[in-house]
Amino acid sequence: MTAVEIGVYALAATIYLSYLLGLRTSADKVGRLVLALGLLLHFVDVGARCIHGVNPISSTPEAMSLVAFLIAAGYFLATLRYRLAAAGAFAVPAALALLVLARVVPAEADAPAMGSLGRAHVLLASIGVAVFALAAVLAFLYLIEDRQLKRKQFGRVMGQGTPLDTLDRLALRCVSIGFPIFTVAIVTGAMWVARLGLLRHATALRPEYLFAVATWIAFGILLVARVGAGWRGRRAAWLTLGGFGGAMLVLATYFLRHAA
Amino acid sequence: MGTSAIDVLVIGVSHRTAPVAMRERLAIVPEAMDTTLAELAALPSVREVALISTCNRVEIYAAVEDADRAAQDLAEVLALRAGVTSLELGAHLYERRDTDAVQHLFRVASSLDSLVLGEPQILGQTKQAHETAKRGGSSGAVLNACFQRAFRVARRVRRETAIARNPVSVSSVAIELVRQVFGDFAGRQVLVVGAGKMSELAARTLRTHGATLTVTNRTRARADELAKRFGATASDWSDLSGALTRADIVIASTGAQRPVLTHAMLAQVQRARRGRPLFLLDIAVPRDVEPEAGKLGGVYLADIDNLQKVADEHREGRKSEAADAEAIVEQEVDRFVKAWRGRQLAPTVTALRAHVLGVAQAEASRISATMPGLGERERRALLDLADGIAKKLLHAPQMALRNDDTDGLSLVTAVQRLFELQVATATATEPESEDDEVPAARNLDDKKVAGR
Repeated sequence: MTAVEIGVYALAATIYLSYLLGLRTSADKVGRLVLALGLLLHFVDVGARCIHGVNPISSTPEAMSLVAFLIAAGYFLATLRYRLAAAGAFAVPAALALLVLARVVPAEADAPAMGSLGRAHVLLASIGVAVFALAAVLAFLYLIEDRQLKRKQFGRVMGQGTPLDTLDRLALRCVSIGFPIFTVAIVTGAMWVARLGLLRHATALRPEYLFAVATWIAFGILLVARVGAGWRGRRAAWLTLGGFGGAMLVLATYFLRHAA
Repeated sequence: MGTSAIDVLVIGVSHRTAPVAMRERLAIVPEAMDTTLAELAALPSVREVALISTCNRVEIYAAVEDADRAAQDLAEVLALRAGVTSLELGAHLYERRDTDAVQHLFRVASSLDSLVLGEPQILGQTKQAHETAKRGGSSGAVLNACFQRAFRVARRVRRETAIARNPVSVSSVAIELVRQVFGDFAGRQVLVVGAGKMSELAARTLRTHGATLTVTNRTRARADELAKRFGATASDWSDLSGALTRADIVIASTGAQRPVLTHAMLAQVQRARRGRPLFLLDIAVPRDVEPEAGKLGGVYLADIDNLQKVADEHREGRKSEAADAEAIVEQEVDRFVKAWRGRQLAPTVTALRAHVLGVAQAEASRISATMPGLGERERRALLDLADGIAKKLLHAPQMALRNDDTDGLSLVTAVQRLFELQVATATATEPESEDDEVPAARNLDDKKVAGR
């Protein structure tokens, strides 16, 4: 099952990448179809694990698989309304990489009892990170396109798909959806940690807490500056990438600790 | 002479062979189309006819029996209508027959023979031409099949190659570039600064896509006049900064000797715009926008050379795509002609069998009727004998027909002529449709009757 869904995602990623590299003239239809198949398989896989008592927020690998699913699904939904084939070349491989990592690493043998607070935290954080990942993909594309336009590489920009303004607006929408979810995730996380009594230990200030707060601050600044000072375009895109980088560091520290 | 794979002929002139002075004389106005078609269809040498008349080509497509005759007749009509001598016309006229005519039609519909490779209008014009001929009853089974396949080939070329993908004119390149920033133009504000021919074209196109136009000019009266012509509102020159602040897209084409839109001015404007993207199309020579302004955040600047360069690149790109497109056309012509021949084959074989077997049976029956002493057994034997001889004789020609794979010379039509077979030409429009059995069966019945 897992091998098949990874294979299908890999095929979708290849299609989107070959579109970006100019080997295909269109990836819209075929790519989307293959991706839809991958999503379906992934969904069934997650469902089957649930039935066997492994719910998607019970461990770091499971949550990563959930994040991968949410990134791919979010991208898929966005393509229904916007021409985003170029974004697929980043979003789909990202989802694929996360899924592969999630499936390679075995689940914790002695996972701490999570309780409803822990579950809420993991679920919300997963959704938040997935939405930020989509924002980062859009911001990254924005920066590439902006650069090409500035350098007057007009021939290369044209026909590549998503208009600059659409990328800007969609990225902002992702951030404004992701931010409140991520906020609640941080709060529930803090409460969960407090309840576990970990704060009294020497490990009180684990790096992931700092990264999470930094991420939150970055996106907070972005939203405020956007509304208040009309921050758009390049600056907003860089800040989005920075914020997402923070979120990735959080995931990476979890992952490294888990792997160690 | 009736032995070709498909009896189609095209005769005409195009931008490749005739100067505009000749083309405009030959061009047939839409109002005269029906009468011209009727006139051509009335020629005894012409079975079916369709007519394409655009500013770049005038072509007659015809299904014919005798291509030499038909070509001569059609050329005469053309010359007469245009009021030129056949000799004068002949210097510009080209003619393709058979498979080459089919290929020509496929190339025309796919815009491979166009002045601007891949331009989209010709497909519509070809469709229009076929529609008109069909309505007037002058396009029959042969031309319908050719044209319909041509449209499919054109769509395939469009789908599988990038020949029509990138714009090749400066104003359409400008439009596409702006689209790359804003997506759609609905509700976008376009500011036209000064007025050149090119800015008018781009502005008009943007307006048809839903953008709102504002015109400004150093002299207010001129601005008002332009606004009226563009269907825009006029803005005072003194409020240039204000107008820039409100605009999303600026088309600049003043006759000024020094840049009118300076870096300092645009930097200030961009602050007031709170970072909203601004696209500057500078199509004036000398330029209207200081080049450094293009470095401002959210400001995108393209001058006429930038646009021209993209247009040239795209033109080159289309040329390289054309090779792929030609290969597709080649392949499709081959397929079409093969399928067409196959379509002719089945009814012809059936008709041949029916004809020969019918004659044999009829003769055997006639003989047996003259010999009243024959018993049932002998009568049967006589009929079987006739049948057996007929089938033996039929074997070789049938095999030859089925294996007929030569180009240009088709045994199918030869057999039809030799045996005077009236094979109803396929009436369905697409050669691949699977209804070969139906006309074949009908033919068999016809022949049984005819054989007696």
